[in-house]
Amino acid sequence: MRSEQQDHEKVDPDVLARAQAPALDEDDIDDSKYVSGLPGVLGVVDVAIARIEAILLAVGVLAMAVNTMANVVGRFMLGQSLFFSEEVNRALIILITFAGISYAARHGRHIRMSAFFDIMPPPMRKLLMIVIALVTAAAMFLLTWYSVDYVLAQASRGRLLPALQVPVWWIIVWAPLGFFLTGLQYALTAIKNMIHKDIWLSTSTLEGYDDTPAEEV
Amino acid sequence: MALAIFSVMIVLLLLGFPMMVPLIAGSLIGFVSLFGGVGQLDTMVQQILGGIQPASLIAVPMFIFAADIMTRGQSANRLIDLVMAFVGHLKGGLAVSTATACTLFGAVSGSTQATVVAVGGPLRPRMLKAGYKDSFVLALVVNSSDIAFLIPPSIGMIIYGVVSGTSISELFIAGIGPGLLILVMFSIYSYIYAIRHNVPTEPKTSWRDRAGAIQRALWPLGFPVIIVGGIYGGVFSPTEAAAACVLYALLLEMVVFREMSLKELYSTAKSTGLITAVVFILVGAGAAFSYVISFAQIPQQILGGIGIDDMGQYGVLFTISIAFFVGCMFVDPIVVILILVPIFAPVVDSVGLDPVLVGTIITLQVAIGSATPPFGCDIFTAIAVFKRPYTEVVRGTPPFILMLLTVAVLLIFFPQIALFLRDLAFDK
Amino acid sequence: DTWRYAFEEALEEVQGKFAQKFKEEVEANSDHSVQLFPFGTLGESDSILEQTQSGILQFVDQSPGFTGALIPEAQVFFVPYLLPQDEETLATFFEESKAINEMFPPLYAEQGLELLTMFPEGEVMMTTTEPVEGPADLNEVKFRVMTNPLLVESYQAFGATPTPLPWGEVYGALQTGIIQGQENPAFFIESTKMYEVTDHITRAGHNNFTTAVMANKEFYDGLSDEDRTVVDNAIDVAFDYIIDYQDGLTEESLEKIKEAKPSMTITTLTEEQRQPFMDTADSVEQEFLEIGGDQAQAILDQLKADLEAVSSQ
Ligand code: NA
Ligand code: NA
Repeated sequence: MRSEQQDHEKVDPDVLARAQAPALDEDDIDDSKYVSGLPGVLGVVDVAIARIEAILLAVGVLAMAVNTMANVVGRFMLGQSLFFSEEVNRALIILITFAGISYAARHGRHIRMSAFFDIMPPPMRKLLMIVIALVTAAAMFLLTWYSVDYVLAQASRGRLLPALQVPVWWIIVWAPLGFFLTGLQYALTAIKNMIHKDIWLSTSTLEGYDDTPAEEV
Repeated sequence: MALAIFSVMIVLLLLGFPMMVPLIAGSLIGFVSLFGGVGQLDTMVQQILGGIQPASLIAVPMFIFAADIMTRGQSANRLIDLVMAFVGHLKGGLAVSTATACTLFGAVSGSTQATVVAVGGPLRPRMLKAGYKDSFVLALVVNSSDIAFLIPPSIGMIIYGVVSGTSISELFIAGIGPGLLILVMFSIYSYIYAIRHNVPTEPKTSWRDRAGAIQRALWPLGFPVIIVGGIYGGVFSPTEAAAACVLYALLLEMVVFREMSLKELYSTAKSTGLITAVVFILVGAGAAFSYVISFAQIPQQILGGIGIDDMGQYGVLFTISIAFFVGCMFVDPIVVILILVPIFAPVVDSVGLDPVLVGTIITLQVAIGSATPPFGCDIFTAIAVFKRPYTEVVRGTPPFILMLLTVAVLLIFFPQIALFLRDLAFDK
Repeated sequence: DTWRYAFEEALEEVQGKFAQKFKEEVEANSDHSVQLFPFGTLGESDSILEQTQSGILQFVDQSPGFTGALIPEAQVFFVPYLLPQDEETLATFFEESKAINEMFPPLYAEQGLELLTMFPEGEVMMTTTEPVEGPADLNEVKFRVMTNPLLVESYQAFGATPTPLPWGEVYGALQTGIIQGQENPAFFIESTKMYEVTDHITRAGHNNFTTAVMANKEFYDGLSDEDRTVVDNAIDVAFDYIIDYQDGLTEESLEKIKEAKPSMTITTLTEEQRQPFMDTADSVEQEFLEIGGDQAQAILDQLKADLEAVSSQ
């Protein structure tokens, strides 16, 4: 009992270091070091897409802050609310979400519960990782298909955003794109696991690289 | 069907699939079996997109962004130094401060997810440094943030009030008692935890050093002014206050403290976007899943079979508690309130229960269910923001759930915990 | 079969009452059963309309103002002072209006929707923190309106600062003072407790909240003659019921509000006091003609003719 308590008092230095790490270090993703899972020209295109995703994420978040504040300024200083600001935020959150799920897939950042996964022997883990990546890719491609369907339906119905008076499908067109690119990343992850040694969480992330805690189990 | 869906979801979850897959699979099976094929899957996409668009969710990325800027720069540390100067010498002082900060911030911002980030982000490293175990810190942050459901303004109570036709002002006041009781219990637990685990205290700070800490924190003290003053003063909505915090944080870190470069700003915005995306895709997938549950009228089927009409007051209250607790383990709290409240309304009326008491109990169960695994936005947010594994984030949860359930039971047998203030304020 | 019917309000509010009556009628006169889905349980208002278009739901209640995103002409119901201000004339108006009964159904049909009926939900009233007797009292008042260009234009023309806000934030915003007013029918002000956070109700008679019940067109066209008669009759019975139900509902709701909060003032503006508000309607009409689609002019003219017709009866 006593020893267990002392165990509790000790802080895992890794946890501490990671938690304290200020500003840009290992937690931030350095896009210039990103290596695509695709060969040749396709790889170049893929790296470019990754860059665009990153920029969309950053710009989307900044634009959201500015847009929201502009509404406040309008209301108080100009006596006029920007009544389209809510719709702009809707467009931005969709953009951020769908640019982000693909970017997260590239860097193995999607949330998962890995407790049982982590205690399996390595060959099992590798096999399971391939199954996970394939099933996830399939789910993403399925959603790609039906989100194209949904975007087309919206386009044909001609639904408009009430304040901006622009077609709704303009702001949701990111959904099929995001699902497709995410599916592609998982498919590539499956392939990478098949042809390479080690276990890959994504095309650029080796398992154990980021967060496999020693104390879990 | 419900059982099959839940089983598949749990299995996929345990095997280590990305969390969005179990939710998507659950909705897929639901859609295919409800509509006899894949013909209506575009509606599933519609629900995913609908789930991420509510205007009130915009506060979440904004608070994540502001907190990230503050933590990378100096604002957060200066604020925490100030708190530590006053409570650092007390056993469990930092933990109690964290719980209190979560409660207050959550109450004001109206967003439990934003609270996890904005309060948990800066305070977690300090608590680890002070010697608290990570699983305790994470559970403390997530659960204290959920107290915010009970303290006005509470979106859950507004929805309940509208659906059930109950006075929202009375609900707001009734939530304060149980909310504070929970905070007190968490504080006592934190104190006991600090003693049992021998978390060291710092030497008492002199008044001179305290004055220094106040001075260093003068600029960052603008944040509470923006949030509390801005919202209660009628300047900002919670979402706008979040955006104002972002701009103020940028002003401090880039101009006043000169701590952040443009490049870091870019990285921070990108990292905020990434966290937002991995959480929001789960919010969207969760919405599609809620749709299936709602469309198939699964709660109605389950509750129709248990003979709630023949129960007395306590029976009804326990049934309601369990139904909301279980519902919120899997489904978004707002949807649970929308679906279940009309089902229970007639029996609440017929056994003569006070709808304000029922609303308070429901809101409490919603808070408990949201913090309880397997699914919960605040859990997801904590995983994404702190980059800790799922199991680590939920491991410290049981004692907190136990305390929350204790309050829930107390509330059923001693309704005055909630109604005392209401009766005082409304002269009943 | 099981038919599914979704609406934008709670079960005990006006749209819910209509739906309950419809369900009761259908189930009494056929073997079909109707499942009701109140607001929020299957998604937002736009979402349930889309689900009806794609045939997942058979029936839906959406107010034409919202349908305006899809059928721009439907926004005409946001033009102030276009509907009769008196309740009895209003019911006749809905039954006899050519615009409503002849011009709108084809527009809905283009979107795969069978327009079954439109009905009024009650006079729209302003609730504010300061008393309102004329446009001058709305000066600089931040007034919450739904996100629609015509409502924004209306309140701008009234002199207020129209402020769009998601419904979930309205109560809190009135409490903290971000906004100082909002508008809704009396039953809704009562059920959503808006009176708890405002002090004055003003009846300017500028509008009556209108809503519409629709069916998926393919489903409706595919019904047997017998079933179609069941549906049509159920709609008729529910229409009469809801007009009856509302007779006095406004007064009853206002009484409940008075009882819960005796300090609440309820002011009905006189004809003279209404005039300056009515004078602003022109600018809103212009805006409607701009964004109201191909038939905006025709519909506006017809509604005015219909109004003329019932008023002279
Ligand atoms: Na709250
Ligand atoms: Na949960």
